[in-house]
Amino acid sequence: MNKRRRLTCLTALSVALAACAPSPDAGKKLTVGVSFETLQTEYWVAGFEAIKEELRKRDIEMVDSIADGDANRQLEQVRNFISRKVDGLIIVPKDAKTVIPMIKAANQANIPVVLYNRPADQSDARSVAVVADNHAITKATVEHMAVQAKQSGKKYKAMILLGDLGDINAIGRRDGFEEAVKQHAETIEVVARVPTEWNQEKALAGVTNALQAHPDINFIFTSSDFLFPSIVSALRAAGKYRKIGEEGHVLLGGFDGDATAYQMLVDGYLDADGVQDVYFESAAAVQAVLDLKAGKEVPALIRDPGLVIHQGNLKEAAERMWGAKVKP
Amino acid sequence: MGGEGQTVTRGHGQAGAAPAPGRWRRTLASEYWVLYLSLAYFLALLPVVPGLAAPENLANIFSNMLPLLVVATGQTLVLVTRGIDLSVTSVMALASVSGALVMSGDQGWLGGSPWAAPAGLLVMLLVGAGVGALNGAAITGFRMPPFIVTLTSMMFFSGLAIWLTKSRPIYNLPAAFVALGRDYAALLIAVLAVAAAHLTLSRALLGRWLYAIGTNVNTALVSGVPVRRAVISAYIGCGVAASLAAALYTGRLETGSPVLGQRILLDVIGATVIGGTSLFGGKGKVSWTVCGVLFIVLIDNSLDLLRLSYFTIMTVKGGVILGAALLDVWRNRVLVG
Repeated sequence: MNKRRRLTCLTALSVALAACAPSPDAGKKLTVGVSFETLQTEYWVAGFEAIKEELRKRDIEMVDSIADGDANRQLEQVRNFISRKVDGLIIVPKDAKTVIPMIKAANQANIPVVLYNRPADQSDARSVAVVADNHAITKATVEHMAVQAKQSGKKYKAMILLGDLGDINAIGRRDGFEEAVKQHAETIEVVARVPTEWNQEKALAGVTNALQAHPDINFIFTSSDFLFPSIVSALRAAGKYRKIGEEGHVLLGGFDGDATAYQMLVDGYLDADGVQDVYFESAAAVQAVLDLKAGKEVPALIRDPGLVIHQGNLKEAAERMWGAKVKP
Repeated sequence: MGGEGQTVTRGHGQAGAAPAPGRWRRTLASEYWVLYLSLAYFLALLPVVPGLAAPENLANIFSNMLPLLVVATGQTLVLVTRGIDLSVTSVMALASVSGALVMSGDQGWLGGSPWAAPAGLLVMLLVGAGVGALNGAAITGFRMPPFIVTLTSMMFFSGLAIWLTKSRPIYNLPAAFVALGRDYAALLIAVLAVAAAHLTLSRALLGRWLYAIGTNVNTALVSGVPVRRAVISAYIGCGVAASLAAALYTGRLETGSPVLGQRILLDVIGATVIGGTSLFGGKGKVSWTVCGVLFIVLIDNSLDLLRLSYFTIMTVKGGVILGAALLDVWRNRVLVG
């Protein structure tokens, strides 16, 4: 192909482009860009669906993108939303720092940003975060387990599965756990703290090792429900997976409120679970976008008080447990 | 000896299948057919994808292209020699964290010093050159297949990047460095890198050697090409390009990340090969890679803008790339047949 023809082609193309540039039309319905770092666990899928439903209820259009765990990709996707002139952004960031350039870009374009479930670090970028009160919910959950432990009159050896300690949520849960067990030091002694970095294989290996080193462990808390399959598998292998009330039952507690945990509660294996109220968080996130758009004052941090579900309140609390509404 | 990248029109013309009509055939035959494919794709999606042609979006497409273009350009140098470099993504990760460990205001050795940014960038480039030299030396010295050598170094160096940082990202990079990832600076770096690689392949003696090695390494050896030196240079070039791309990604994200680029290996190799560079060596041009990268980034961008679910996007992207590859096979058959 000769040069002149190529040039003609390009000129024709640019004319076509100019002609096709969208014209702004007033009075159209609002659009919110939703960017999730990952959809790889049920929790994020439930959150994603809840936000989608909340936006649909309010007749707001949603555009979405999933970064597949890649912060650079998320930055590109958020910039795509900004160039589409969305009316607001709801972001689940990969981590607390890489989201800052994204918030800055949105600030520059005057588009409100709400972070869902993970806050950003301190900076001059302006955003609102809706987060579960990890510390308080975990503390209440472990508190409930401790009361059960006390009632049995036995001594307990405890294990906690830690999340990725670069994740502020994981740190909140660890601290909530430590605070609760400290108050019940006469009943509970922590003998194993298993780092999982949010990885099921690591969790399985860690739990198996801990159970071998301390065969008397009879109190287990996991910082996230998605690690339950690893725990159950290790307990089964050790012949220690028993129902509540059966001889040799290991007191179990978790955090998130997923479908596996719900099933374990119903089947009578799980003692207590800290639930992040996905419905509260999604409604609060959408409301915050609208309020920011309308120029209202919104606190920088909106806390989801969450709830603790256990054998005593299973029926009522299941209403607010997202795992009870999705299929395991 | 192979000088410039050969185009498919040099195939042996045999009477057989009916020739495609003139203009259509010329478009197909053009070595820039992927550019036309991208334009056709763009035009076809214009009515369907809102905001695709908006100036802000076009700016996004070009700025998203830059880092990927720089890595893919380096990959082109290696593919031309009938090699492959799978370690580019771990070079990016290792360069990103090493640079950040030097520069970061939180924990960097030179944190806060005015020399932090240039020293950090230099360390990044040295990491790229070092890993490239190791790859090249192992491939030529031990006559090991490039696939295995670079697969091993991919695992080793990405492990090293994670170990160095205990899998934590590093923040608080100097403003002078962060600026590199932004608009014009990034454009300038990418243009310089691409131009250097282009001139090397098309004008320099080294370029001619690389094509000769890729076409037939024995012939090249007999003809007096310093095969070892040339191949090592190609891998060094590829490593340096990857570390430059890492500088762009790290700058715009303001974070040194041990998993930087972990998921873009297929985009890098896909873009280069779709552009027309052969996996079997001896054929390839930097300008083709530019078109290939444009195509991949355009697909990503348009699928993001379409209201498709994440799962659909993954499937469609795979499908479009497969479609482009099939079209390439068909085009070769029509042109040669």
